[in-house]
Amino acid sequence: MRDIGPVINASIRNNLRSRNLVIIFVGLGVMIVTALALIYCLFEIGPAVEEGGLNMRSDLELYLGLIMYLCCLFGVGVSINVFTVPSMTKEKSRGNIESLLATPLKAKGIWLAKSLAVFLPGLVMGEAFAAIALVAINYIYIVPEIGFLITPPIALSSFLMVPIMYLCLSLLAHLIGLTGAPQSGNVVVQVFLPAMVVLAINLSVQTGLGITSWSFTLINLGIAAVAGIVVALLFPRLTKERMVLSCRR
Amino acid sequence: MNSAISLENVRKTLGSREVLKGISFTVDQGDIFGYLGPNGAGKTTSIRVILGLLEASSGTASILGEDVSQDEARKKVGFVLEADGLYDNMTAEENLEYYFRIYGVPEPRGRIERVLDSVGLGDRAKDKAGTYSKGMRQRLALARAMAHSPEVLILDEPTAGVDPGGQIEIRQLLLNIAHEEGKTIFFSSHNLDEVERICNRIALIDRGEIKLYGELEKLQREMGKGEVIIDTSEAIAESLFAELKSMPHLGLREKKERTLVFIPQEGVEVSDIVSLLSGRGVKIEGAKRKEASLEEMYTAILKEVEPS
Repeated sequence: MRDIGPVINASIRNNLRSRNLVIIFVGLGVMIVTALALIYCLFEIGPAVEEGGLNMRSDLELYLGLIMYLCCLFGVGVSINVFTVPSMTKEKSRGNIESLLATPLKAKGIWLAKSLAVFLPGLVMGEAFAAIALVAINYIYIVPEIGFLITPPIALSSFLMVPIMYLCLSLLAHLIGLTGAPQSGNVVVQVFLPAMVVLAINLSVQTGLGITSWSFTLINLGIAAVAGIVVALLFPRLTKERMVLSCRR
Repeated sequence: MNSAISLENVRKTLGSREVLKGISFTVDQGDIFGYLGPNGAGKTTSIRVILGLLEASSGTASILGEDVSQDEARKKVGFVLEADGLYDNMTAEENLEYYFRIYGVPEPRGRIERVLDSVGLGDRAKDKAGTYSKGMRQRLALARAMAHSPEVLILDEPTAGVDPGGQIEIRQLLLNIAHEEGKTIFFSSHNLDEVERICNRIALIDRGEIKLYGELEKLQREMGKGEVIIDTSEAIAESLFAELKSMPHLGLREKKERTLVFIPQEGVEVSDIVSLLSGRGVKIEGAKRKEASLEEMYTAILKEVEPS
């Protein structure tokens, strides 16, 4: 792990220096989070607080939970979507990956480092967005009425399960991308993000299995486990030879 | 002399194609070894095997006695691959620091300055690699290859795409590295003139087989067919020509005005012929053993293997 430290540092620095990508990364993140927060605050949370009633607490838990969860989901997801393919494509075509493979670094070390370099900035952004939204909405709308509101299952889903899911996903996308075409790896990420949004909304709105329940937390863990199992199954493909041959320009 | 790089009967199959068909050669320590061959001959595949990037289907490859699959072998090697692998968004210093840290070079700062100075990029250390010309990039890649003071440098076409001025600079740099620092340099190239100028040993690969291998001067003598060319100040008399012709060990082949061409038997030196002619009163202006140029050798070898 100590060996890959320089690779993680340099890759994060290199990714964040790509000005266009950073603008897209931060811009998209801020836009999505602001839109989510505004929609829920103006149309759901505000009226719910004003109306009061028996269901107010559970409604607030649901809406606040959705905001938190989606902030994390989009924050981390945007990073992986924005950085994975461009950085992998560029590094493979310009010989960066092949050069790293010719050093004493192991193939799995490079894979892990590249996956973390894409995942970590998103993790920081997603968690920060979610935390800011949680605190801000609580203090603006909820604390004056019923005190600080946080639901453990959704907090766990947002702050732990989403990162675990995306870490597994980043590992999977990089495993596929580094041993084959980078675009193939990104298909996994691009399919996953909208699928998770649809799942989250459907579960919370249309079924009895709410987003604030422990069951939803377990579903998140299950998705991470599936991604982890796929990574484990594909892991034997991760050889220097496959990585080098897939770098052909 | 210990071998720096050794390949023994290395075969490599990619898909259904056998790219390397049992190649063997040795690069001795201190050599500047030129690796030649047309496109698709197997040069880059050989280099990838040597660097442990591809696993040989059979045979063995080692660097300074270590099997190439071992990390120890890779720690002793610096490399410049076909695509330089530099990060455009990073400065020259940062590019080097990155690799210095990967190789665990202690206190890299001072060494970065020294290495950049040695490749003539000291004044551009803070500039991003993306702003460099092709020649400067190759020099920076060379600097990176020397990051951990490796004993062997493996370079895949280090002057490809570089302008003539840049090629001269890189050539000079390679000579300095080999002669002043005592490193072994193995490099592939399409530039025969460059190889002829700086290499002491070569190997020529074509369609996955080594067609020519050995000490460059020796190969040039052998492929020059051992011709000795003597230039005289005056055309020699027919009687002397007939006398020389009657001496089979001299192997006189032809007379062109004031030039005599011999293919002497083994053991007969140029100086022996010169002494004999001088003894007969012939004034000699020049005497040399003809050597084949690398281009002639390259063309002759590849013509031999051309399919009918």
